[in-house]
Amino acid sequence: MSLRNRLFALVSGVVVLTVVLVTWTVSSSARQSFATVDTQRSAALVTQFRREFANQGEQVSLRLDRIAQSDAASRVAAGIAGARDFAPYVNEATPLAAAQELDVLDLVAADGTIVSSAEWPARFGYQHAWARKAVHATNPSSGFLQPVEFPDETGLGLVAVRTLPAGSGTLYLAGGRRLDRKFLQSLVLPPGMRVLLYENLQPEVSGRQLIAAEDDPPEAAPLEPLIARVIQDRREAREVIEWPDGPETVDALPLGGPDGAVLGVLLVGSSGRELAALVRRIRWSGVGFGAVAIGVGFLLSFLVSARVTRPVEQLAGAARAVADGEWDVHVDDVGTTGEIKVLADAFETMTRQLVDHRDRLVQAERVAAWRELARRLAHELKNPLFPLRITLDNLRRAKSLSSAEFDEVFDESLTTLQTGLGNLNTVIGRFSDFARMPAPEFSQVSINEVVEQSVALFRAQLAAPGRPPVAVTLELDPAAGAIRADGEQIRRAVQNLLLNAIDAMPEGGELRIVTARSNGVVRLDVADTGQGIGEEERSRLFTPYYTTKQHGTGLGLAIVQSVVTDHHGKIWVESEHGRGATFHIEFPA
Amino acid sequence: MTRFKPIFLAAVSALLAAVTVDAARPHYGGTLRIETTDAAVMRRVNALAYETLVASDTAGALRPLLATAWQGDNGGRRWTFRLRRGVKLHDGSTLQPPQVAEALRMAHVDWQITSGDDTVAIDAGRDAPGLPFELADQGNAIVVRPAAGALMGSGPFRVERVDAGLITLRAHEGYWDSRPFVDAIEVRTTRSPADQLLDLEAARADMVGIQPTDVRRMEQRQFRIEASRPVELFVLAFEAHVATAASESVRRTLSGAIDRGAIARVVLQGRAEAADTLLPQWLSGHAPIAPGRGAEPLARSAVAALPADRRTLGLRVAASDPAAQAIAQRIAVNARDAGFTITVQTPAGLGPRFDVRLLRVPMRGATPGAALSDVMAGLGARTIALAGRVTPPEPGAPIDTVLFTEHALLEHNVLVPIVHVPELYAVSPRFESWNGPAVQPSGAWNLANAWLSAP
Repeated sequence: MSLRNRLFALVSGVVVLTVVLVTWTVSSSARQSFATVDTQRSAALVTQFRREFANQGEQVSLRLDRIAQSDAASRVAAGIAGARDFAPYVNEATPLAAAQELDVLDLVAADGTIVSSAEWPARFGYQHAWARKAVHATNPSSGFLQPVEFPDETGLGLVAVRTLPAGSGTLYLAGGRRLDRKFLQSLVLPPGMRVLLYENLQPEVSGRQLIAAEDDPPEAAPLEPLIARVIQDRREAREVIEWPDGPETVDALPLGGPDGAVLGVLLVGSSGRELAALVRRIRWSGVGFGAVAIGVGFLLSFLVSARVTRPVEQLAGAARAVADGEWDVHVDDVGTTGEIKVLADAFETMTRQLVDHRDRLVQAERVAAWRELARRLAHELKNPLFPLRITLDNLRRAKSLSSAEFDEVFDESLTTLQTGLGNLNTVIGRFSDFARMPAPEFSQVSINEVVEQSVALFRAQLAAPGRPPVAVTLELDPAAGAIRADGEQIRRAVQNLLLNAIDAMPEGGELRIVTARSNGVVRLDVADTGQGIGEEERSRLFTPYYTTKQHGTGLGLAIVQSVVTDHHGKIWVESEHGRGATFHIEFPA
Repeated sequence: MTRFKPIFLAAVSALLAAVTVDAARPHYGGTLRIETTDAAVMRRVNALAYETLVASDTAGALRPLLATAWQGDNGGRRWTFRLRRGVKLHDGSTLQPPQVAEALRMAHVDWQITSGDDTVAIDAGRDAPGLPFELADQGNAIVVRPAAGALMGSGPFRVERVDAGLITLRAHEGYWDSRPFVDAIEVRTTRSPADQLLDLEAARADMVGIQPTDVRRMEQRQFRIEASRPVELFVLAFEAHVATAASESVRRTLSGAIDRGAIARVVLQGRAEAADTLLPQWLSGHAPIAPGRGAEPLARSAVAALPADRRTLGLRVAASDPAAQAIAQRIAVNARDAGFTITVQTPAGLGPRFDVRLLRVPMRGATPGAALSDVMAGLGARTIALAGRVTPPEPGAPIDTVLFTEHALLEHNVLVPIVHVPELYAVSPRFESWNGPAVQPSGAWNLANAWLSAP
């Protein structure tokens, strides 16, 4: 990743992180604040319900008092005193209950027989379940919660009991209001809140016992665990219920009967929808703001990173150019100040110095090359010229000899001159050949065949009498196959390597030649067991005219490297002192 | 002073007696206002306009009406009726024996009817010992059909107008048993039961039809209650899917669980009779028997073991009949004790599927056979087919035949009688009559001798 991209990513990341943190902090803070308000609101409603419940109980007691004081109730009490047939009074409860707006009113004889029932008129003659018991077990003057049987179901009622003397017996007036949808609708609720009533009248917690003020009661399943917990613990509990349309904080209030059993659970729900909507609005505002901030941050990051990295990139480009050998580059127009400007100036100075140094070095190498060339030429030419001069001196002295002796010396001198001139011609030809290395003419060449033919040329030399034996080992990979190359040049290179290896083993040894094909290259290894090549020698091994041999021209390995390079190959040498050397060549397959 | 004291007391007593006598003395004039929603109102009205040869009295015995005497041969196959002389029709003409014979022929084409100077002879073509009772039925009223004009009768009133919701009758000036006291009768037929009670309390009506559940309320308001004999039957009729043999134990158990006595005594305020049979005892003359009670009912545990759909029943009741609804609610309470759950349905239109209906069936016939035929007609052919494949008895069928038919209908508890109820009316205190209650045991209105006292 480039510096610009890294810088852009870094700055952008910082901007994004900052914006996200700010947005989350604001949203979280707002949510907590609203949740606190919501909690206070729920608590207020619970308190309001308690007051309302107590007020309803007082209302029930008051209305039952009025019934007890009515003429109709007195007439019934007088009528049933000592009577066994209560039929005339079977319809008395209904108008009395209607007049006092009670949902429940039972007129009960002293033996517990229902004389008249407003909520279930057809139930006359049956035993009343709780009127007499409530009088003796609780304080009937105040309202209490009681399961009440209705024609279709059993419901919860907020009831009270009064008694009237009926002759020697008693007439019980048991009445009250049913805790039903109408009751819930009578509660005044702030917007966003609702009240549900669970009637705990079945052994199992069931959603069918849930009553809502609205027509459609909510799905009960999410509430059932909370209801079950309140029934079990007999104390208030709070839980946040997740509905499909948003969360709702539900306070559950146990409603106890006269014996302490939990007969119902009041569920005060504070819808989190408004809160969620507000928080969502804040969150989305934050997200919108954050998105804009991030966009602006990206733009600024891009501009800043571009401004900061442009001179650096120019410097990097100039450095790459220098590395590629293009030393004549300038970074004096980076258009910045400060450290980057200092860096650019330093780079400029450095490249200028490098160019100067290179020029001086080239000049020095050129001089050294010419000196080496002159030395080699002088060396190569001095050897053939010395016999020529001796021959010429012999000829000059032979003038005083007899004709026959002169002719013999003359012929011998002529032969020597011809040989010396031939040697000179050979030396000149070698230099000329190196200078005139032709461009390769490519064709399919079998590297194994080249190796075998080249080795065959040297077998006679290696087998010459008196020469220390050199064992030749060929490990030629049949899969090496052919390469695209100039056969003659390749053969020349291989022969130079073989000759070089044989020269390295004047005491005899082993010549090992290996070919192989792998990873898209054909490899040729030529190894000897000579004295090896020192590190200093290795560094100059392929330099033209460099040689360690007594009679070498120093062009052999230079020619090999030239051929390999012209075939887009690679050559290197591995050696350890005293353990021979191995030349490695790789050609593209 | 002491000498004048007896004189003073005598004068005061004489004055009080005069006032009392004046208040009790019949008054001519005025319009009697009746309100009822009874489906048989035209039958009651026609009974005032068109008389039968004989009528049944309060004890169920026959009394003369247009016929002063009657006599049958040994097998009761041929009957001779001596007609009352000088009976005037509504147009002032005298009723003639051929007119009587013709009217009877219209009702009974299979009878051989001949008329004499003052007699009419009927040959029923079969042994018919109960034929006079059959002739007491309103369906055998003497209706004279002139070649042109309205139908004529000889009753104390003539039908003056029949409008929607209002029937007007006018006193028959030439009535053979003296002119009625009131000049006219207005019968309103479309007032709701609640409105009828309000009209009576507001003195806008003099006699209104009421339900047994209203009796105590009206009595507390000092209105007089007039009732017929039990002439209607409340009966449970199970639907086809519950009328199977497999459900017989359910029906039997449910029938046995119903406390008919409480329904009659409390729900219907003692104005009904618990019914184990279709025909009331006064009509059949036999003690109630319960044909379907032979086997033991299911125990509550056995009911609880039944599938839910067999122990949960929908009971359909007419939405316009508060008495039926009250009875149904009590049946639901009783059924719950036996382990059944009964849901009372009172839909005004189409309702959910139901399993059993509580029907109110009238029994207008004067004979057991006719009454049972009425009951079977009221129940409908489909229900009768579920109960038992029997044919309605003839109006004059022997009582054994009638009881056999009734027994067949009740044998499998597809029909479960609940109570027999009378027709009930609340009557204003200013409505008075010197010869008996305004409503006869048969349900017919006795208005010829009624008058309206001063308000």
